[in-house]
This record gives sequence, structure tokens and C-alpha cells, in this order.
Amino acid sequence: MIKITLAGVNHKTAPVEIREKIAYPKEHFAPAVKALAKEENVLECLIVSTCNRVEILTITSNLYPEPEFFTRFLAKTHPSLSSVPIRPHLYYKVDVEAVEHLFEVTASLDSMIIGEPQITGQVKEAFEQCRKEEAIGPYINQIFQRAVSTAKRVRSETAISHLPVSISYAACQLARKIFQEMSNKSVLLLGGGEMAQLTARHMKKMGVCSLTVMTRDPVKGKALAEEYGASYAPMTALGDTLAVADMVICSTGADTYLLTVPIMEAAMEKRGYRPLFLIDIAVPRNIDPEISRLSNTFLYNIDDLKSVVESNQKEREMEAFAAREIVRQEIAQFQKWRADRSTVPLIQALRQHTEKIHQTEVERFSRTLDALPEDARKQVLILTQSLINKMLHPTYQTLRNSSNIEESWEWISRIYGLPPDAIVSAPPLDSQGIPQQSESSSGDKSVLDSPYSNFPIPGEQSC
Amino acid sequence: MTISPLEILLMEMASGFYLGAFLLYLAEILLTRIPRIPWAPLTAGIGGVLFQSLAIFIRFGFQGHVALLSLREALSFFSWSLVLTFLYLEHQTKVRILGLFIFAIAFLSTLMVIGISFHSPMFSSQQSIGLLLSAHTILIDLGLASASLAFIVSLLYILLDMFLRKKIFNRFFSRIPSLETLDRLNTNFSGLGFVFLTIGLIFAIIWSWEKFGRALPYDSRGRLAFIGAILVWFAYMAIVLLRWRRRFLGKQAAYLSIAGFLIFAATMLALAFFSQGTHFIL
Repeated sequence: MIKITLAGVNHKTAPVEIREKIAYPKEHFAPAVKALAKEENVLECLIVSTCNRVEILTITSNLYPEPEFFTRFLAKTHPSLSSVPIRPHLYYKVDVEAVEHLFEVTASLDSMIIGEPQITGQVKEAFEQCRKEEAIGPYINQIFQRAVSTAKRVRSETAISHLPVSISYAACQLARKIFQEMSNKSVLLLGGGEMAQLTARHMKKMGVCSLTVMTRDPVKGKALAEEYGASYAPMTALGDTLAVADMVICSTGADTYLLTVPIMEAAMEKRGYRPLFLIDIAVPRNIDPEISRLSNTFLYNIDDLKSVVESNQKEREMEAFAAREIVRQEIAQFQKWRADRSTVPLIQALRQHTEKIHQTEVERFSRTLDALPEDARKQVLILTQSLINKMLHPTYQTLRNSSNIEESWEWISRIYGLPPDAIVSAPPLDSQGIPQQSESSSGDKSVLDSPYSNFPIPGEQSC
Repeated sequence: MTISPLEILLMEMASGFYLGAFLLYLAEILLTRIPRIPWAPLTAGIGGVLFQSLAIFIRFGFQGHVALLSLREALSFFSWSLVLTFLYLEHQTKVRILGLFIFAIAFLSTLMVIGISFHSPMFSSQQSIGLLLSAHTILIDLGLASASLAFIVSLLYILLDMFLRKKIFNRFFSRIPSLETLDRLNTNFSGLGFVFLTIGLIFAIIWSWEKFGRALPYDSRGRLAFIGAILVWFAYMAIVLLRWRRRFLGKQAAYLSIAGFLIFAATMLALAFFSQGTHFIL
């Protein structure tokens, strides 16, 4: 039987000191995949290595590799790890659990920040690299295709990736709640704090029409303006700039309020009381909180933005429930595919066995059959074939629906008197799922529930 | 003149579809962030408006002329135009949250229409009112529908403003469109309402001049109606003028629209009450 095993280390099980040692640098990744693919009993393998996790997925024949197999492999491919005990940090999953875990990883449900989009790309990249090393076969190909499709469904059917979880993106999300059209909005960057710059960069990406940088140090301010393709304005022009700006991002080192109620009242009057979004990321704050009482002004400080992020994180966790339901649906589909695939060699063997009996019996009655007119002879042959098919159909169904294929097969073998070597080996499939034409067989690896089958499966997906 | 059982049946069907659309919109807001079946509430709404269109068509055909003089008929036409405007808006700007309010109003209005139909089946227009008064009633009803839409978007504006100030980030918050969008819709609906109201009143004055030889009717009911109409018209003119001169923006404009709608609706209800189910001037 084909065994699916996954072992790994991630941000939940290992501290960064361990993770940084286990992660494969680019130049070591391909040799590691090659080494794993050469291990005894490993038919296919996939390694996913990022800064937060290393996942090793193997497809083996008949036996599940022990967790020690993975610790030994990690120690072998990371000489620096020899003195570190890996086993306490290693998780180990088999069959459905292993596939479910990989689906959740790809859909970003197991990430440090749930819903972050990079992991799907990282899994795709890992798959491509493993394919180059010829470590991918039909099973991992199928698991990967379904994992990516699950990730797509999770992103499109839930709001898991719609809610920003960084301070700068949260500010942009709030801006979208105030303004509909960004192409006619202008932003004032007051001060040059790192977070404020990041927020301004995001706003620029959102398509604001102009960005003005205002700092106390003109040299620094002009350099910053040049960097962002913005214009520079001196602090003396604050009142005039406020009159035209729609969003103000404030992050200076000043220890007093730069924007006070009288300044804002004057600015609001000048700007015809159009809505103004003020973001105060500075600590100590640079904008008087009393300003939020003025009509059509919306003031957010760093704590407010953090509360937006926390709220979004909670929402993402809520959405993760719906996402896990999608994963469960996809796992059920995969299980069905696996069951269908497992029964293929068995059905093939049973057909060959009954066909042999059919041929023998036709030969035994050949004299009688030859005496018949051609049409009648054909009808008799069709009738016998149809009888065989009708009688075997429930057996195929039982096999396909069986939860324990090995046991079902044993019973069927006894009932039909199948010889122990009834299951014949077939040419192996390449990673595209196409039978290879070589003379080699799967050797000493079991063909029961083997991926090496050329029996066509209706609706089978391939890469 | 009695009401056709087919018309009542169609109205009941429309009411049921509107309730369905409202419940689907509500479920969409409460249960998911991304609508699982986004076409479902809209389809229910379209079903409702088709049944109601048939009911209105039968009413007009049965009467042989535009029949919008009684409270029952005016309510029916009001909810129908409200839903149609929303469907157009949904096609243009996708403000789904409005559907929740529109279909709640449409359901309650059609329910009232059915109630009145059973309680007072004789309350309906009986005589032909001519082109001028027909145009007047249609325009005033459309004006009221526009004012209601301005009222709803204004409520949403005030709600979103409150959420943004008090830092409340719930599912309702995420569904409300931006303040700028709501303000623009408020401007458009208020303006449209004012235009309908103005032209509708001009038609009424011309009709009154033709019938009585003067703009202001003689009887007290007519005078009351005239004063109410002028009050509403001035309120809306103030809204439009203040917006135009950019003195009132955002929240202030929203408050003004709410006040405008309340004056409009109160006047219409008062007139309907005093006229005892038929048009006050006739």
C-alpha cells in the first residue's frame, strides 16, 4: 500500500534558533531533495522550506517512515544540527492528516499571520524545484494540485485575505472607508518616521494624486520627497497644505502637538469642511486628540490602528473556520481519488482473471459455437461477456466503496479463486501521469495500491 | 370600485419576495463577509418587482387611468419605484447594504397595501383625474421615493461616521460603502427628489388654476395640502442650495436630508389622514 507521511518543524513547534538552522538555503535545497528521493522505499517526495517552516512529504511503499527517519535525514543534510535534538520539535503526520496539513499550509491557515499570501507561492516554488529533481510522481502531483486549488478556494470564498493585519495597510483600509476615489486625493506626510513612510508608500500604491513631504529639516525632507516622487513644503506652509490635503500622516520627533484645534479649525474652514483623515503614528503624539471632535475630521493614533489590526486578526481567525470546511471538502475529494486509484490494479487483475476463464470456456465450446451461424455466434459471445460484466459490477462497486481495500481484496480473491500473483505490474507513470514505455518494472516495491498503473481513471487530474 | 383578487394575490407574491430578499440580505451581513450566493437576494427582489409591476398594471388597466390617489395606491407605487431605483443603483454602483433597508421598506409597504385592501376594499381612485393630476401624483411619489433613498444613505452616513469616530469595526462597518460614496448618493437623491417635487407641484398648481381659477384651493384641506407642499419644497430647496454653496457637507448634509424626508413623509401622512383615503383636493 502507498503510504503518505509528513514531518516538519514550524513556528509553533520550534523557536527561531532551531528554525534558522533547519531551513534549507537555496544552494542546499536541490541536493537535499535528491538525497531524500534516493532513500530506500521513497517513491516521491516534496520539501517545503521557508523561514517559518520546513515540511517534508514522502510517498512510500508499504511502510511509513518512522519519525527517526526524518530526524536522521535532517541531521544528515544539516551538519550544524547534529548537536541539536530535533525530535522534540518535529511533528509527524500520516495519510489524511499529512495531506490535510499540507492543504492548510498552502492555504495559509497554519501561517504565523493567517491568510498571508506568500506561502502559496513558496509551496509552488518548492514543487517546481522538486519536479526538476525528478522527485515528483502522480501522488504528490495530485496532492499539490489539490492543495493549490484549496488555497484558491479559500482566498476567493472567504475573507481571510481581505483584512489587513499591518498598521500601514490598516490605515489604507480606513482611508478607503472615508474616500471612494483615490486618484483625486492628496496626502501630506508630516515628518519622516519609518511607519509613516511605509503608510505613505501604500497610499501612493493606492493611486493618490499627490504626496507632499513636510519636515523641519529641509535637506532631509527634500531627499525624502525625491525618494517618493513627492513635493516638499516647509513647515511654515502647514496651514495652506492642510487646506488642500485629504489625508495627513504624522510622525515627527516633536514632543508637543503640531496640529492643534485652532490650526485645524482654520484649515477646515479653508477647505470647505471636506473630510480629512489624520493618522498620528508619532509617540509622543503630534496631533491634539481634541481635533477628533471637529466635524468631518477622523483622527487615528497608533493604538487605534493597532485595535483595527487586532480586530482584523480576530476576523481572520473566524474566517479560518469556514476555510477549514473547504479543506475538509477537498480532503474528501482527494480520498475519493485515492480510493479509485487504489482499486485500479485490483479491478484490472479481476478482469484479466475472468477474461481468461471466458476465453477458456469459449475455446472449450468452440466446436458447438463454430457450428452456429456467424451472427448467432457473435450474439452468444456478447451475451457471455455481458453476463460477466453484470456479475462483476457489484464487486467493482464494493471495492471502490470499501474503507479497507486490503481486506476486501482478500475476500474477493477467495471468492473468485484468484491466484496470489493475480495483480500484475504495469509500466510506471511519469510525473504527468502518462505510462512510461521502458522495460523496467517497479522491482521489489509492492504494486498493490501502487501509483504505477496504466489503468485509466475517468476524470483524473494531471499537472 | 372593488379590488381584483388577482391584484391582491400578485401583491402578496411581491410582498413574499421582498421579505425573502430582505432576509437574504440580512443573512449575508450577519453570516459571511463574502456573499456565498450574491445573486440570490437580487433575484428575489427582481421577482418581487415583477409581481408588483403586474399588480400595478392590472390596477391601472382596471381603472382605465393612472390610479395613485388613495394611500393604498400611492404606497404601492412608492415601494415599486423605490425597488426599481435600488435595482438600477445596484447595477451601477453596487451598494448592496441599501438592499437591506429598501426591501424592508418595500415589504412593509406592500404588507400595508394588502392590509388596506382587505380592510377597506373600496378605498381606491374611482374617477379619471386627467393628465396633469396623473403626472403630479407620479412625480410626487417618485419624489418621496428619492427622499427615502436620501434618508437611508444619510442614516448610513451617520452610522459610519459614528463607527469611525468610536472605532467600532464590525461586519456592518465593513459592508457600508465609503463616506464619500454615501455623500454623493445623498446629493444625487436629494437633487432628484427636489426636481420631482418641483415639477410635481408645478403640475398641481396648473391643474388647480385650470379647475379653480387660482393656485391656492378654497377649502381648508386644500390649503393645508398647499402649505405642507410648500414647506417640503422649501426644505428641499434649502438642502440643494446649501449643498450647492458648499456650506453643508457630509454629516450636516445627512442631517438635513433626514429632516427633509421626515417633513415630506409627515406631510404626506397628514394629508392622507385628513383626506380619509382619497386625494385631498378632489
